[in-house]
Amino acid sequence: MRLIVQNIIYRILTFTLLLFLINYVYVHFFYDKDLAKHSDLIAIIDKIPDSTDILYVAESSNTALAEDDIDRRTIAEFLDEALPGQKVNDLTKPAAHAGIYKVLLSAIPETSNIKTIVLTLNLRSFNAQWIHSSLETSLQKSLVFLKTESPLLNRFLLSFKGYPIKSEREQEAAFKAKWLADPLQFPYNFEHQNVSEWDYWMAINGVKNDDGTTNQALTELACHYIKGYGFQIDTLTNPRISDFNEIIQLCRERNWHLVLNLLAENVEKAEILVGSDLTYLMDYNRDLLVAYYSRKGVLVVDNLETVPDKYFIDQNWTTEHYSDAGRKAVAEKVASVIEQNAKLFK
Amino acid sequence: MLFNTIDFVIFLPIVVVFYYVIPGKFRWIFLLIASYYFYMSWNVQYIYLILFSTIVDYLVGLRMGNLSSKKAKLPWLIISITMNLGLLFTFKYLDFATENLNIIFNQIGINKQLPIFHLLLPVGISFYTFQTLSYAVDIYNNRIKPEKHFGYFALYVSFFPQLVAGPIERFDKLNPQFKQKTNFTYQNFANGGRLILYGLFIKMVVADNISGFVDSVYLTPQLYHAVDVWKAMIFYSFQIYSDFYGYSLIAIGSAMLLGIYLMDNFKTPYLAKNIAEFWQRWHISLSTWFRDYVYFPLGGNKTTTSFWLRNIIIVFVLSGIWHGANWTFFIWGALYAIIYILEKIFAKYIKAKDRVSPFSITHLLLALKTFVLVTLVWVFFRSPSFSDALEILKAAFRNWGVFEKTLTIPLSTTVFFGLFILSDILLYNNRFDKWIDKKPYVMRWSIYGLLLFSIIVFAGVENFPFIYFQF
Repeated sequence: MRLIVQNIIYRILTFTLLLFLINYVYVHFFYDKDLAKHSDLIAIIDKIPDSTDILYVAESSNTALAEDDIDRRTIAEFLDEALPGQKVNDLTKPAAHAGIYKVLLSAIPETSNIKTIVLTLNLRSFNAQWIHSSLETSLQKSLVFLKTESPLLNRFLLSFKGYPIKSEREQEAAFKAKWLADPLQFPYNFEHQNVSEWDYWMAINGVKNDDGTTNQALTELACHYIKGYGFQIDTLTNPRISDFNEIIQLCRERNWHLVLNLLAENVEKAEILVGSDLTYLMDYNRDLLVAYYSRKGVLVVDNLETVPDKYFIDQNWTTEHYSDAGRKAVAEKVASVIEQNAKLFK
Repeated sequence: MLFNTIDFVIFLPIVVVFYYVIPGKFRWIFLLIASYYFYMSWNVQYIYLILFSTIVDYLVGLRMGNLSSKKAKLPWLIISITMNLGLLFTFKYLDFATENLNIIFNQIGINKQLPIFHLLLPVGISFYTFQTLSYAVDIYNNRIKPEKHFGYFALYVSFFPQLVAGPIERFDKLNPQFKQKTNFTYQNFANGGRLILYGLFIKMVVADNISGFVDSVYLTPQLYHAVDVWKAMIFYSFQIYSDFYGYSLIAIGSAMLLGIYLMDNFKTPYLAKNIAEFWQRWHISLSTWFRDYVYFPLGGNKTTTSFWLRNIIIVFVLSGIWHGANWTFFIWGALYAIIYILEKIFAKYIKAKDRVSPFSITHLLLALKTFVLVTLVWVFFRSPSFSDALEILKAAFRNWGVFEKTLTIPLSTTVFFGLFILSDILLYNNRFDKWIDKKPYVMRWSIYGLLLFSIIVFAGVENFPFIYFQF
């Protein structure tokens, strides 16, 4: 019996020693390479200068440029210019949403001097297709190295897929099911019960040219707009709402002022391609978000209609990518709201 | 729940601990619940299929057990075969058959297109239907007595370590193990752990790291130099081997932790001297299944030459299309049949020696020949279509002046690939758990450390599902 216990103790000790050794070798020789390869987020967070007063946290809307932009500054840089006396820097992660921002913000060191967080509130990020996006798995993977304090444990989680994984097929099935299940409610009679029906109707009837023929390219774009904006946010079930709520809580704990920048969408094109039914839904969701977060004491900058169609870079897709004039307009509106509410920020 | 995920890393120890804590007579209930939970983690609805298959074969088995003559049993056997193959056909082959019928309709001018259902293939259906089929056939042949206890039979069909990709176990080997009271032993624990560790290494570090290179070349072979195409073909031979061998070892190791022994599925197949030996060493549980339930009933080799040829062709082609509903699998199987027959004829003609010393020059040359043939045949298995397979083969033999893309393989991948080949040679006619058991303590733990370190630090993180899960 004594021999068995002795053997077990030897093995436990050897295993513990092995773990220490593996951890040492990993941290000293492999960790940095892994960060560069699998998670740029820690590097992005580390690069935030100590002098930052305002951190502009965004997806690609911050950095997307038009080919012919004369002024190639980002929204954060325009904001920095519009708020003299306050240093604005950015934290940009393409395709990110509130669930990602939440992890990024909680990884900012306690010693940081940041006073205000300006966070993009992207209307489309609340839709089913974005919630169940095929990019979600890779976004979640990039967060693994922020999960725990131990680099080896984080690498273990990465190797053993310790993050939410869904295949493209599963994600597609999920958002298509939402398109069917979520009813559309209008204050007047509307002929389509849900996005699937509406999208199908548009695909069949199409956007017409002047001569009455169907314009295939515009029809496809109209379908994208319907799928992108044809939804009504349910504050009880939409995961973005709970993510933003957690961010609000985090900001309170860290004594950060929070400003939500409701990003500009191409409302003009939505009106032309699909009509007022779609812009009704966009307005509905905007009003809901502004009211919901204002009630929670958060400053919401309503930029939904700030950027006209001509300043949108992607004319054949639904994005929040603006040319220089668009980026500047968004930044100036954020700056003016911050200035108007300067008292709150003292 | 894949074996190489955190879910399984948590699931398995919980199952093992509770299994030994629970009194022996109740263990089957716990294992059955754990197995169904494991299966439902893919898709809750799949459970209805496995339940349906279990109930039908359980009842058919009981009914056949009450009958003495084969003639009386035959209708019940037909019910089992129809149900099992019907399930398999519906979920695996229906769309393929419909697509081909639509093509035929189109070509002969019939203006009718049958609907394609795009049914999702339930995980493991090809494996558990074969397992239940063997149960019904064995009762029909009076080889086994039917299981009267529904729970034990359900566990035989759904035992989680081998449920989704085998090894395809026989009832008389697996079922008695569920009934005997197994005590926890250090040897089972150590050997099971060793197999899991080595299985994870060859799956996560070897297979998952080379899959990206294979995918790139198979996507656009026309852009790569012939040498790179050959590299990708060789990589694929090792990718599918390490992927499936790794899976099998984890399955065997997981079962061993519970004191249950599963059959070996691989025995260094790439050191086989000919195709016949290759199939005695590759996916052994499937090849022996086809041998026992198709080849022998057809007459095997105890028949005329023409019937023997027919039997060989039927077995290999069936084995091919068992893997998937695609003409490429049909061709893959048919090619094996042709090579097998040619090798048999050739061996007869030159009166080749049966016994060749391991690792002699003759052995190595014959193994190389077999490996090259297998690698060429894998092209049809890996390619999504016949024309894609031809593109790969064309590129392998013609692209001597093409340099548009280059296959750059990191040093770590090359090292692990080399280590795998070396370990396979060391483990010739042996298994990792038995091999390492004889090594001194320090060496053993150094190898554990290296494997653990490689799994954590070098595991591939892009392509990770087990290839055989799709079958």
